[in-house]
Amino acid sequence: MNGLTAVRSLATLPVVTLGGDAVAHVKDTVFDPSGERIARFTLTGRSLLSGPLPRDLPWPAVHCLGRHAVMVRDEGALFDLPLSVARREAVRGRLLGSQVVTEDGRTVGTVLDVLVEGGTSGRLVAFRLAAQRELVHGSRHRRHRVYVPRGEALSVTGRTLVIPAHATAYVTDDLPGFVARVGAGHDRGGGGVR
Amino acid sequence: MLFSRVRGLPVLTPGAADRIGVVRALTVDAAAGRVTHVRIGRGRLRGQAVVAWEALGAVGTDMLVVRSADGPAGAPQHRDLLGARVLTECGEERGTVLDAAFDPVTARVETVLTTFGEVPPGLLLGLGDHALVIRTGHHR
Repeated sequence: MNGLTAVRSLATLPVVTLGGDAVAHVKDTVFDPSGERIARFTLTGRSLLSGPLPRDLPWPAVHCLGRHAVMVRDEGALFDLPLSVARREAVRGRLLGSQVVTEDGRTVGTVLDVLVEGGTSGRLVAFRLAAQRELVHGSRHRRHRVYVPRGEALSVTGRTLVIPAHATAYVTDDLPGFVARVGAGHDRGGGGVR
Repeated sequence: MLFSRVRGLPVLTPGAADRIGVVRALTVDAAAGRVTHVRIGRGRLRGQAVVAWEALGAVGTDMLVVRSADGPAGAPQHRDLLGARVLTECGEERGTVLDAAFDPVTARVETVLTTFGEVPPGLLLGLGDHALVIRTGHHR
């Protein structure tokens, strides 16, 4: 049950207890320093006009990440966190907008979105890029719909992601094919992307 | 007996045979899989009364007989089961609740009918302000 989910689609997703109560909405998805998996979510209140909450949701407290809600056991899963700290961590752990370069110094593009495994995994699987013209030819629209797998050797340096040079060989704009390949690569039998 | 059939039934007190109102809704403890309270509409000016299921004298197909219409002190917050969004414990939507069947003698919920099919009471986890959460059976 670990379908791929785009991180941009997680914003505004409700955080729901197993008792059926919505206790917050997702604001930002924060990744761990190695860019391997989701570390935490920052939160907003439930109404349209409510601002950021001084609480966050660490990944170990997540019961399950689905397409329509982030499930937690109860409201005790949320931890108090000063807003200033939450904001700083959100900026530090947000991969959207980061530059992607290869080990040999070629700029590949910037991260538009991140695909993560849902369920209990939270593992970062791939990036959607605004690709450089040298990497993918064609219109801007087409270059904004390409995916590159995270790979095993990703390193994060500030706001720059360094991927192995051979990872660009897997760049594709065919999302279903990409999902199937990622699924086969990780022996998880596929899954849809929201 | 269906929840939708109970709604609107008159509620009487046995002695005076006074009609004290009509059933507005049934409050459910989803985790326990049973009806716990009956909410009775007493008219525009008199508001609602909440009666524990145990306070009912009889439950028929045409009326409910209640021993006393005085509400219990600690009635739980009411969440409407009918029309509730259904969410799995893995955060996937599974339609909405159309109706539910329960045993009027034991108050046990027998099945919940949703737009995706029937859900047995053993799979219910909780009913809150956002959704009815159901077990998927293959979670960690």
